[in-house]
Amino acid sequence: MTLIEVAIGSTACVADVNGTDPTSLRLLEMGLTPGVRVRVVGSAPLGGPLELELRGYRLSIRRHEAARISIAS
Amino acid sequence: MTAPPDDTTPTDGSRRAAGRAEAAPPADRPLVVALLGNPNTGKSTLFSALAGIPARIGNYPGVTVEEKVGRYRHRGRALEIVDLPGTYSLAAQSPDERVAVDVLHGRLAGVPRPDCVVVVVDATNLERNLFLATQALALSLPTVIALTLSDVADAKGIDIDSATLGARLGVRVVRVAAPTGLGLDTLGDAILAAVATPAQPPHGLDKHLAAVDPSRPPAAREAIARYAWIEELLDGLVTHARPPRRTLGERIDGLLTHRVFGAVFFAAVMLALFSSIFWLATPLMDAIGGGVDWLGGLVADRLPPGPIRSLLVDGVIAGVGGVVVFVPQIALLFLFVALLEGCGYLSRAAFLMDRLLCGVGLGGKSFIPLLSSFACAIPGIMSARTIENPRDRLLTILVAPLMSCSARLPVYLLLCGAFVPNIPVGLSWIRLPAVVLVALYAVGVITAAGVAFVMSRTVFRGPPEPFVMELPGWRWPRWAVVLERVREAVLSFLHNAGTLIVAVSVVVWALSSYPRDDAAIEAEVAAHRATLARKVAGGGVDTARDEAAAELAALDTEAGREAARRGAAQRQSALGRLGRAIEPVVRPLGWDWRLGCAALASFPAREVVLGTLGVIYNLGDVDAGEAEGASALERKLRAATWDGSDRKVFTLPVALSIMVFFALCAQCASTLVVIGRETRSVFWPAFTFIYMTLLAWLAACATYQMGTLLGW
Repeated sequence: MTLIEVAIGSTACVADVNGTDPTSLRLLEMGLTPGVRVRVVGSAPLGGPLELELRGYRLSIRRHEAARISIAS
Repeated sequence: MTAPPDDTTPTDGSRRAAGRAEAAPPADRPLVVALLGNPNTGKSTLFSALAGIPARIGNYPGVTVEEKVGRYRHRGRALEIVDLPGTYSLAAQSPDERVAVDVLHGRLAGVPRPDCVVVVVDATNLERNLFLATQALALSLPTVIALTLSDVADAKGIDIDSATLGARLGVRVVRVAAPTGLGLDTLGDAILAAVATPAQPPHGLDKHLAAVDPSRPPAAREAIARYAWIEELLDGLVTHARPPRRTLGERIDGLLTHRVFGAVFFAAVMLALFSSIFWLATPLMDAIGGGVDWLGGLVADRLPPGPIRSLLVDGVIAGVGGVVVFVPQIALLFLFVALLEGCGYLSRAAFLMDRLLCGVGLGGKSFIPLLSSFACAIPGIMSARTIENPRDRLLTILVAPLMSCSARLPVYLLLCGAFVPNIPVGLSWIRLPAVVLVALYAVGVITAAGVAFVMSRTVFRGPPEPFVMELPGWRWPRWAVVLERVREAVLSFLHNAGTLIVAVSVVVWALSSYPRDDAAIEAEVAAHRATLARKVAGGGVDTARDEAAAELAALDTEAGREAARRGAAQRQSALGRLGRAIEPVVRPLGWDWRLGCAALASFPAREVVLGTLGVIYNLGDVDAGEAEGASALERKLRAATWDGSDRKVFTLPVALSIMVFFALCAQCASTLVVIGRETRSVFWPAFTFIYMTLLAWLAACATYQMGTLLGW
């Protein structure tokens, strides 16, 4: 299960970020490390980016980036 | 507040200070202090609070990243404050970040390695900000952590034990609230103390590194371990004085991210932004235009007619006026953008528009620059500075001039009014000229989308840049920062772009004034008069004879004769000859050489084309913005015929081809100069001019040929 499948308003726990490219590194650097709790706050219209809350701040990432973040069940 | 009375008490780490290879910097030169921090941490506010207006704004050698340096004195010691580009990590990915890392390592030629790093840490977002701060500690430079926005953290009831945090990290941690000046003195003391007795970096990371899967790439391992270390560092240090409750900011956030209210609010903000640069700036621009005309008139009255007067009035004063006239729009747009950025809405706007622009290879942050370009491409291109991603920024700059700016509107209105039949389309209240006008705006937008799409997949192809954007919390904008952005934008435009724009205007003036042969001009006017006299005497079609008689009567007045002389002078000038020379090129567009000439003369600014047409058709100076001038020009254009025949120049396909050309062409020297200034290159403005002119020519040609084929 990945982060895009998480319902808006609910919280999930990050299992891992897939890939070894600059994007996956940037996601880790922004705090999306294994074990962190993330709340999906909202989503921009027309399938736009997601708004996340983690480590006490708000972050927006595009959907195809969210699809790389797997969620611990 | 439970903060200790003196935050600079040396911590265990700095007492341990020993064995550092570098000696303390000599006291006779300023200490170089680098401000390092995440974007949106109040770094600019801290810079303004310490150094005021920057002493120097330049560029780092070889890159397009801005270098901002200011001066500050503390206890008699001169400090040079260097504002590094905002960065999330020292594992550099973007050019901005690479510059920050290179400066910190002293690897950038001509830029001294800092004597001290002040890591700006947002107290309301401690965990993520400490990621960069702990990376900075490994640089083995004297380091101080400035906890900014501590007033906001207080208001939220977040209490941070900064003394213990400093002890755990081995550096001084100073709470500052830049707008009120709280903690600035303590920060200065901490900087001097850190330089005098440098600390050793802590070794907390190694233990956590050992716990991460070794098969991961080193940078990923480091990031995971670093967050584990930060969680350990912060353990027990952050307490919420009262249970977290919904602050005003969070309640506003709930409303602004709401599916319906959020979209309505966004539309309202963008409408306000757009209409203010469109309408609020107009009276100011008119006032500037009036002032320039008044000054020109004043000089014209004092000087005898001749080349000097012409150079001053039509070359220099008109050129300077053409630069100053952009200032209201630039100032207003930057005021709006800085306010939106200051309160955190700019990122929200980018978040909402990202999907729409992502499809054509741009990003959400391109929206405001492109929207503002409908008023004027110059402030629009300048506001692309808010786009961090260099590829998106360049692409936005390159397509922004395709948006139909307000200077194109008079051209559209005159030609639509004169040549597009005012007939209803479908429903009775939709008229054809209005449809054509909307279509012209659409041509610009669709072309821009196409160009961005194609370029993002060809010239700018590469690995996709990560779109990982922080959505900062809501806060009040700081006036000092907002006004500084406006001041900087206006000055950099006047100083760097203005001089070149005036130079271009003077060159085009010279081309349209010289060579000048008074005898040849008189001969041409006399020959024209003789032709008219023959038409009147020869009879023929009544309307044609009446028109010729009216023109003959006008020619015999003093003003009419002077206008005819000016027209002849322009037709005989270098520009006029060039216009004749390029006639084969503009022929497929349905244009005669006069139109080619007018297009050439409008290179400094599109709106000049109407004035040039006025002069070329012997009307003298017409003000196409006024009803009288516009209707005189309309009559003249309707009557214009090809040289040596009675065939009309202006038909519907020709008018459409002119409008399509002007919708897409790069006839605006100021825009090209600003592109050069913003991209720090000669290549990109040249590229923009060539691609836009080619597209404009092709589209105008297709319009004319199709229109002729369809028998419009």
